[in-house]
Amino acid sequence: MVETDLVDVPLKTIDPGTVLSAILIILLAYLLTRVIAYLLTWLAERAGGRRITVKMLLPLLKFIIYGVAVYFILASVLQLSSTQLVAFSGVLGAVLGFGLKDLFANIVGGLVISVEQPYQIGDKVRIGGYYGEVTDIGIRATRLVTPDDNLVSAPNYLIFNQAVASASSGTPEMMVVIDLFIDPDSDAGTGLEILKEAVVTSRYVYISRKYPYTVLLQDFPYYRRLRAKAYVHDLRHEFEFMSEVTRRAWREFEQQGIQAPRAPIMGELQTGNKPEAGADSTQSTTTNKI
Amino acid sequence: MSEEEQQLPAGLIGFQDELARIREAIAAFESGEKLDIAIIAEPFAGRTTFLNAIEQIATRKTVKLSFSSVITDRNEISFPPGAGEIVLCDNCHFLYRRTIGGFKHLDEFLTAVVTSEHLVITTWNVYSWRYLKEVCAIDKFFPITIRLPQFSAAALKELILSDYAENELEFEDDSTPEEKRIITRQPISFTVRNKILAIPFFHIDFARIKAMFSRKEGTKKTEDIIFEKIGRIAGGNPGVAKLLWEKSLQYPVIKPSFVKECPLKVELDYHESFLLSLILSMDALTEPELYEISDESEVETMLHRLLRQRLIVEEHGYYKLDPEALSCIVSALKKTGVIW
Repeated sequence: MVETDLVDVPLKTIDPGTVLSAILIILLAYLLTRVIAYLLTWLAERAGGRRITVKMLLPLLKFIIYGVAVYFILASVLQLSSTQLVAFSGVLGAVLGFGLKDLFANIVGGLVISVEQPYQIGDKVRIGGYYGEVTDIGIRATRLVTPDDNLVSAPNYLIFNQAVASASSGTPEMMVVIDLFIDPDSDAGTGLEILKEAVVTSRYVYISRKYPYTVLLQDFPYYRRLRAKAYVHDLRHEFEFMSEVTRRAWREFEQQGIQAPRAPIMGELQTGNKPEAGADSTQSTTTNKI
Repeated sequence: MSEEEQQLPAGLIGFQDELARIREAIAAFESGEKLDIAIIAEPFAGRTTFLNAIEQIATRKTVKLSFSSVITDRNEISFPPGAGEIVLCDNCHFLYRRTIGGFKHLDEFLTAVVTSEHLVITTWNVYSWRYLKEVCAIDKFFPITIRLPQFSAAALKELILSDYAENELEFEDDSTPEEKRIITRQPISFTVRNKILAIPFFHIDFARIKAMFSRKEGTKKTEDIIFEKIGRIAGGNPGVAKLLWEKSLQYPVIKPSFVKECPLKVELDYHESFLLSLILSMDALTEPELYEISDESEVETMLHRLLRQRLIVEEHGYYKLDPEALSCIVSALKKTGVIW
């Protein structure tokens, strides 16, 4: 009987009307996801600090809508019996296993991302060598917008075999690390104080007990590194924050006679604001949290 | 405490609980315990009025330092020599500037507070206080922190009508069904560890529901409807409520429809939001001060945009918030995250 049913399915039920109905359902599901995505994005952008919480509903809703659409196509349009459904699933499994395994892995990856939430829409993440803000988690791929405004589509299956770094993990607040390098003969204490004040007076900074800030000093052979770690209240301000703090701190450094590192005598390092972290010598780290 | 002590100073309405805490702190100071006080409130919420009331009830000699603009001279914050006096410092948020090197005077002031043998009572803009609390843990310097509460509609009624004789005003009911709503917004305030927490909540007018079912008119007086509306628009802020009252009253008549809702739609970019947050936190700033603090090159243009949106006003070179726009501004700035 199973064999007969299997043979009967395409012949009896799949006619132009059935195909049209299936296409119509997929189209409706697509339009519905677009409308919901638009509405949720509109709502999220007006929700201030709850932007990411609102947006995280989007991938889950997409999977539900497409899942319901597939169910309707199989159950209502094709009107498969339970035996046919089992047989169809077997065939589908074989097709996925041999031909569409990558697509299937992406779909499963998308489901895992929606449920486990290693990152969410609105997060700043690093996936597959790309860094940017997640703008969409689709059925097949996750879309990122890089700081250079490139749109990157990272396949969802990457979460199974690559580490994914999320800088904000579902909240709009995000830690930003700012490094400034000064000459070892300059007054590091004054430098730390200036950097601290440049951070806490920034228009982008967000400070609370949960999101504290720290200012650190570390010695290297030809320079000293002043490092500030602080949060922005919206991860979209990451680079503006870095730029603003750096600009204001350096303006004050110049007034206070704090200088950039000079070129080393032996030429191991070039003069610059941000040399590569070389071999550490003595390390004296100071944490300054007021 | 005697009844005489419990009485409020002349001209002060509300703040009974807060004044009781001040009396306790002064009594403790009499017995040798120095508990410096920070009084924090929104702009227009009655900080200076409250400090003046403290001056009236003080049992020791008082010295008052009143700051009205950003402090640039260290001599302005010198405490009197000796010990045992009550030093009242109004508008202490003028002691800092949100810029590199802008905390020098504040640090000196805080050192003076902890080292002086006077009882120091200070007032602060709540948004500056929250900022300084996170940035330099300012709350550690003041063992007692008093947040001036929002006024209820009844308290606002008492405050505003205290300026008029009985039956001087005519309250006429022209309220729309919307103003006779069964459910209205009414935050619940309670004190937890000396802090007033306001939780958004709804008030259900059961009397109105009952009246609806019994086909009788609601029992709410017209004046109550008016003061509830004023209280809601002003967010319980007495200064804003008084201003709203003055604008609404067509002497001697007032009707619910005379009290206009805040029509403002705040549309600001991030830089304008930050500039506005500086004015909100400091009460009043001049254009050069805004240039210096904000580090913006287009302050003049931004100020014009804020003036055009009726969010700020300019008085004698100082830019201040338009009181009517306060609740709209706070709501908009909280969304952008520039105030904490």
